[in-house]
Amino acid sequence: MNDDNTKGRRRDRELDPRIAARLAARAARAAREQEQGLERTARDVTDPSTYMGPEDTLSGAPAEGRVIGESGTGKVDGLAKITGRAIFADDIRLPRMAFVKLLRSPHPHARIASLDVSEALAMRGVLDVAVGPDLPVRHGAIPVAQDETALAIEKVRYVGEPVAAVCAVSEEIAWEACRRIKVVYELLDPVLSIDDALSDDKPIIHDWKRKKSNVLRRVHQTYGDVDKAFEDSDLVFEDVYEYPASTHVPLEAHCAVATPLDGGRLQVWSSTQNPHYMHRTLARVLGMDTADIRLIKPDVGAGYGGKCDTFCSDILAAYFARKLGRPVKMAMEREEVFYAHRGRHRTRMWLKMGMKKDGTITAIDFKAWADGGAYSSYGVVTSYYLGVFMPLPYKLEHYRFTSWRLYTNKPPAGPKRGHGAIQPRFALEVHLDRMARQLGLEPADVRLHNMFGPDSITVNGLRITSMGLAECMEQVRAHSGYDRKRGRLGKGRGVGIAASAYMCGALHPVYQTNTPHSGVQVKIDRSGRVTIFTGTADCGQGSNHMVAAIVAERLGIRPEQCTVVEADSDLCPVDLGSYSSRVTFMAGNAALHAADKLRKLLVAAAADKLGVAPDAITCHDGRYEAGERGLSWTDVVELAESTYGTLGATGSYRPPKIGSRFRRQSVGPSPAYSFTAQVAEVTVDEETGIVTVDRVWAAHDLGRTLHREIAEGQIEGCVYMGVGEAMLEEQVYKDGVMRTPSMLEYRVPTIYDTPEIHAILVESHDPEGPYGAKECGEGPQLSTVPAIANAIYDACGIWLTHPPFTPERVLKALRKRDRERARAAAAQAQE
Amino acid sequence: MLPLPSFALEQPDRLDDVLGMAGQLGVKLVAGGTDLLPSMKHRLFRPSTLVSLSRVRDLAGIRQTEDGGLRIGATTTLREVRRNAAVRTRYPALAQACATVATSTIQAMGTLGGNVMLDTRCIYYNQPAGWRRSIGGCLKSEGKICHVAPKGKGCYATQSSDTVPCLILYGAELELASAHGTRTVAMADLWGDDGRDWLAVDEDEVLTAIVLPPPGAHVVHRKVRARGAIDYGLLLVAVQRHGPGGRAVIGALGPAPVQVESETLEDLPQVAWKASMPLSTHAWSSTWRKHMVRVEVKRAITELDRPHLAGA
Repeated sequence: MNDDNTKGRRRDRELDPRIAARLAARAARAAREQEQGLERTARDVTDPSTYMGPEDTLSGAPAEGRVIGESGTGKVDGLAKITGRAIFADDIRLPRMAFVKLLRSPHPHARIASLDVSEALAMRGVLDVAVGPDLPVRHGAIPVAQDETALAIEKVRYVGEPVAAVCAVSEEIAWEACRRIKVVYELLDPVLSIDDALSDDKPIIHDWKRKKSNVLRRVHQTYGDVDKAFEDSDLVFEDVYEYPASTHVPLEAHCAVATPLDGGRLQVWSSTQNPHYMHRTLARVLGMDTADIRLIKPDVGAGYGGKCDTFCSDILAAYFARKLGRPVKMAMEREEVFYAHRGRHRTRMWLKMGMKKDGTITAIDFKAWADGGAYSSYGVVTSYYLGVFMPLPYKLEHYRFTSWRLYTNKPPAGPKRGHGAIQPRFALEVHLDRMARQLGLEPADVRLHNMFGPDSITVNGLRITSMGLAECMEQVRAHSGYDRKRGRLGKGRGVGIAASAYMCGALHPVYQTNTPHSGVQVKIDRSGRVTIFTGTADCGQGSNHMVAAIVAERLGIRPEQCTVVEADSDLCPVDLGSYSSRVTFMAGNAALHAADKLRKLLVAAAADKLGVAPDAITCHDGRYEAGERGLSWTDVVELAESTYGTLGATGSYRPPKIGSRFRRQSVGPSPAYSFTAQVAEVTVDEETGIVTVDRVWAAHDLGRTLHREIAEGQIEGCVYMGVGEAMLEEQVYKDGVMRTPSMLEYRVPTIYDTPEIHAILVESHDPEGPYGAKECGEGPQLSTVPAIANAIYDACGIWLTHPPFTPERVLKALRKRDRERARAAAAQAQE
Repeated sequence: MLPLPSFALEQPDRLDDVLGMAGQLGVKLVAGGTDLLPSMKHRLFRPSTLVSLSRVRDLAGIRQTEDGGLRIGATTTLREVRRNAAVRTRYPALAQACATVATSTIQAMGTLGGNVMLDTRCIYYNQPAGWRRSIGGCLKSEGKICHVAPKGKGCYATQSSDTVPCLILYGAELELASAHGTRTVAMADLWGDDGRDWLAVDEDEVLTAIVLPPPGAHVVHRKVRARGAIDYGLLLVAVQRHGPGGRAVIGALGPAPVQVESETLEDLPQVAWKASMPLSTHAWSSTWRKHMVRVEVKRAITELDRPHLAGA
């Protein structure tokens, strides 16, 4: 956005001496620790018999192919998107295509006493009507909590839940027919809040669990002796924080198209982030063999976590297409996207922290209650994420958390960007600032003081390899002028800082398997054109370009010379999907693995022809060269194909089996973690309560930059969404009815509400990431909201514990501040 | 996608043909359609026929009147109004108000006539059909109670047109035509206090023009909205000097814009604040909106004397 970030960028022609030093230090430490018998570093805990991936991730290697980190390389699918050539699910129109519309529940909690669809069925143009019992197999994102059906059976559990579906020759007829379905409901007492869900006097929403309660999952973990540590602290401080429910608002509404194929097979196109999980779910719900379903993810207009689950639209399009023997489409209306939800859990948090006078964190005690809505979605995982990432960037010996993921009669919450980690990060980073100020310490220094270094293990057993947070803090302070500005910007203006960490892919998939998490297949045509088949699901974040860039870099060609064929279950190897920030790390490694196999053949063929040793060959810009002499890409391809036969290779990635002291720690471990530091600068209008976020600087440790603009775009997108959650977005319900299920009234920031964003890329060269890369699509959102909250305090002396920071909340806090100041002044006068 | 219900479309090119159809059962007039079509998708209206005004000549365009005022044709787009040199120099608050309507694309389609005639809005009314069913509708749609004031008998949906407050202060008049003739009425007198029937304009009358007298005292327009674009106003404020005192028109509070006068300019914020009774018709709190009446009128007054930059 401006020149500020140039300092954060690096040219990768040669190994940066600082990185070389760091890598050397890391190796030395590993050797030392091995001597001492400590199992700590990446390589040591990797079980070679199970690890699948490239032999060398080329962590600190110079970008010899001149693709990685290069600016100005167009995204391989960028032009199709901006010219309208890209095909999204709703663009698909097939002959004789029919359309599905839904009748949805008007009640938050009710028994379906009777359902009469006869009048709808009799309408001209109506082909079929489905009700809950037609699709009785329960499904859900996580195998231990399969509580959902495409259409409600017996009971409705939230306003907007699908009750019946009409398939007709046009959307309008289907819509009208839905209105002619007669449902008689017996109303039940609704469970509408965290307090309701914890109450013994409220009805139980689900009966599938052994223990009858509205608690889907309670997680409790203790490390060290928290109570003792509090006793030894100089300052112990506790408070309650409320984080609101919010949703993703992808540009494209969910849509699925299904059509019968020969031999009883079915082809389904779906706007999904997780085609592989959906493939399995669809087969199970429809009673089909996965091999009989061809699942294709067309271009997707963003997801942010909102398209991770399998939705009624996917199941119903497939169901009707199969039953009627003709193509069927179901495109959600915008209102329906709000009911599909899977957004941020409204979370109440209680946080108690101990500190020494010098700012050393002694212990954290944390409780979180998450309002999860009517179905589990990824809720079991959410309950862990609320607690397990808390100790990430800070040294902590005593930690305890309990989290509850609750059922309520609202649309189901699920994984939204920064899944489950956003809420506790807000509480922790604001709490840290408050305690630092109580002790008269500089909040940024307190963070640095408590931060752990690379190659460490957290109190709850998470293995940290690369860790660039210290550099992130340094850069973000330098670029923003934080130290110069804090407390000195004048009335109503302030700066705030926050730090955070996030994972690079969950170590365990949602189902148990020993198969790879990512597979990539690369084929080289005799023309020199390279085709990459990958199961990854690009939903706008750039995974297509990422695999093309890694393959091109390794083969010494340009990304434009690669065609990416993605997310088609008949054509592409499996990838688990675009969730938990796993794609660059895992699919990137699989792509590197495949490309590396081919490179060996190509280099051998070139070396043979040029009469040199393979090490003497360099590959870049479509040239294989040894000194003065070289061969063109097409010549090398022809030579290699002549020698070795058809050129193709597969690559796989499965994360290492990382040992942990804690057996129960199955959610949270990741092969690597990304780190972020942010500074926000705000203006508070004390007369109106309106807060303006003027500027945000975000320094993110992404391991290695694979494509600068895409990485910066991800960081800017994260900050943008963080600003939305900090300033505007909150889903409010009245009697179980969502008040604002529309893009006009559920307000995401416009460009006028978006601050100037400075994305700063920090490279820590992860030892296991492809070319050292880590994630950058979720982590940078974590520190935005607390940085803004801390900046508001700097501007006007109020602590806001409940985003969004609306003018009304700000005014209320300002009045409280004035009352307290008056009281203090009066007390002082009396003395 | 939310399907638009089917309807017949008439596109007459003579005003007489429009007047012949206006007010008939199932007929609705459409100009830019930027508000009507989304409302039809929400099934707030189910017209069998839409009569488009877009081909009627003489309905669009801005011209000087003999007395030195302006006559703005009803189908003149907000963008044309905003860009018009005479509007920008002589009625700058109107240019500003047009520039704050939704987005530039909507300003390119939406018309000044449509904006003036804009339906009243409420968070319980401007919602999809299925949503309204879950609350049993409201007085203005299919229901029997007002969710904003459940004990009351009236509808409190709010006047939300950005241009109305400043047009009232400029002394604008509406030119209304029907098969029976044409009349001209002052905008200040048109508003009623029920959100279902808020304008004293008959079903068969067609707004043909907005007529502005020669400009008098300078008018300042301010709009409070949650975001920098798209949003309807949480509060609309227009302020003008009036002798030693001032006049203010506050919109988005209820079905009618609140029109107040004060004897001194300093009293105006307090007078406006007292007269304002916002209800929970918006997603943002009515308490804060009431607080903002005083702040915004005060800020508008400070702008009265500032050298002015017209339009956006």
